Amino acid sequence: MHIPDGFLDPFWIAVTYAAAIAYALAAWRRIRGRLGPEQVVSMSVLAAGIFVAQMLNWPLPGGTSLHFVGGALAGILFGPWLGFYVMALVLAVQTLVFHDGGITALGANILNMAVVDVVVGYAVYRAVAGALGGSRRARLLGAFLGGWLGIVAAGIAAGVEIGLSPSFPYGVEVSVPVMATWHAILGVIEGVITALVVDYLYQRRSPIVEAAEKVAMKATV
Amino acid sequence: MAGVLSRHRGALLAAAVLLLASPVFGVVLAEKVGYHEPLDVAAEKLGLEEHQVAEWTPFSDYTVPGLPDTIGYIVAGAIGVAVILAIGLAAARLARR
Repeated sequence: MHIPDGFLDPFWIAVTYAAAIAYALAAWRRIRGRLGPEQVVSMSVLAAGIFVAQMLNWPLPGGTSLHFVGGALAGILFGPWLGFYVMALVLAVQTLVFHDGGITALGANILNMAVVDVVVGYAVYRAVAGALGGSRRARLLGAFLGGWLGIVAAGIAAGVEIGLSPSFPYGVEVSVPVMATWHAILGVIEGVITALVVDYLYQRRSPIVEAAEKVAMKATV
Repeated sequence: MAGVLSRHRGALLAAAVLLLASPVFGVVLAEKVGYHEPLDVAAEKLGLEEHQVAEWTPFSDYTVPGLPDTIGYIVAGAIGVAVILAIGLAAARLARR
């Protein structure tokens, strides 16, 4: 999922950075003044957990791998605005300290995993949980579908960015179906892990859930 | 302020356990199957220059200079967690004002 340096040309680097910064500013306007230390620390603990979870690459035959991304998890717990900052922190540290994802692609990677994955995961979860009445079963199903569809949408977004960039020799007609299919299959695992983690945190009444519940509802779309 | 973290002892302990297990996935199994990031594999096949921007990050690809890959992976992960929590604690201090 992390786009490395070399995939995006200068125009798309600028466009994706601008879009990521615009979302960051919009999110900041909505959360400014509403956060207490408890929420901020909880967000960073969740970010640290997602960072470590992303280090567990599951190798797949053929020399590639899959790993948990966590955007939907951040969105489900903290909503689309705070969830953005959780994921943006993870992605910025990965890029700036470990060169995991290119610095030229950081805008695109934030757009895919901190905006698209977070927003789609959150929206799907809320829609399913709302439709089914907010039971534990609804939470599990909503988190599964949110995690799965969030990663599919993020994969499609990455496919569009790569496909539109002249640095990449194939167009969107190739890149989007490849990314969509690949993530639709692997995303099932993301959905399962998202559902299990959300369920566990709610059942245990984790301090992360308590902190998130105090602000996430206020900071929704 | 760091005392605020104590409420999250369970989550941090779980992260530490995952961190200790991480080289099994990120290093040992990865070497066994010749793993690369999916998009890095695509770049290689297409002949794209992956590192147009010079390597300048201190712990590139979760390695620590002078340490074997497995230990380096854990130490790099611990550094990442420390950086994220430090930023969180600094931001929390600002949020209190």
